[in-house]
Amino acid sequence: MADLPGKDLARELIDKSRAEGHSTPVEAVIAAAREGGFNGDRAHRLIGRLWTLERMFYYIYGGWGQGLEMNDFPPSVKYLFSKQIVDESTHEMLYLDALLKKGLVATQKDAFRHPYGSFSVDSGLAYYVFSLRNLATYPHSIRIAALNLGPKILELGWMEGLAAATADAELRGVFESQFVENRSHVNMGRRVVEEFIEKPVDAELCRWACAVAKRDYNRFLGELSAFVLGREAPAPPPPRRQVTD
Amino acid sequence: MPALKIDHERCTQCRMCYIVCREIDINAVYVALEPLHRIEIDMDKCTYPGCTACLMYCPAEGSIVEVESGRSMVPPPPEAWQEA
Repeated sequence: MADLPGKDLARELIDKSRAEGHSTPVEAVIAAAREGGFNGDRAHRLIGRLWTLERMFYYIYGGWGQGLEMNDFPPSVKYLFSKQIVDESTHEMLYLDALLKKGLVATQKDAFRHPYGSFSVDSGLAYYVFSLRNLATYPHSIRIAALNLGPKILELGWMEGLAAATADAELRGVFESQFVENRSHVNMGRRVVEEFIEKPVDAELCRWACAVAKRDYNRFLGELSAFVLGREAPAPPPPRRQVTD
Repeated sequence: MPALKIDHERCTQCRMCYIVCREIDINAVYVALEPLHRIEIDMDKCTYPGCTACLMYCPAEGSIVEVESGRSMVPPPPEAWQEA
């Protein structure tokens, strides 16, 4: 397998993201959990927002799926994408189960109605969701590289830290249980990059898309941490200069 | 009290039972925290035979069975079709 065209690129993206996985804004939440400050309401806030993000992946993947035209990619890539959707769905179900089992909401409808589980367009979460959705116009291998070798590795990193710091065995189980799917995402990203990224221009696009996805994910994580800890959210980035043609 | 369980040899993990159980707010079907994340039925929450919704949506023959009798409930037997 040494002659796979994207092997070096996959290694590069994985190593870079792994190095960043333990310095995300969630470290503040992990520190609070280590000191026993991860109480019911904070857990509700965290799981509520993560559940909301996972729900939005149906919207993201809807856009990405439209770009998977017949014969554009081998069947294995389409199979892997369906596996990615099932894995993402499992994340979503585990979070909802946790909300219900912990008694934080009584029903699924309550979870949707609750402020912690609602989706707001004016948020870091939405910014990240739209950023990923916008990758729909790029080749599938590039967007899978961006997500699976970027934010998904960061997520695995901070979630391992949070699971280790969480005293509540039930909550820890919810986080630990997600590792299975997260590792699946990372392995899938590695395989797609190794097999399908051949041209230097595509490799550069992967690096760019991965960096953009991580930047926007970190922005979401900043908002998430502030929300969980009851602090003020980080200021939004300065407005870009309007471009007109 | 009769109860239902999943036959993991036949279940295809399509998750329709989970979706319908959540939709009607019974929440008896859940994802187990073990690595395979298989679907399970919480017998304390399941209201069978009062509710048979999951049986109606399950597409995999024999994948939901009655615990006591061990008989397959998919496709649903005639007595499962009842007025709500």
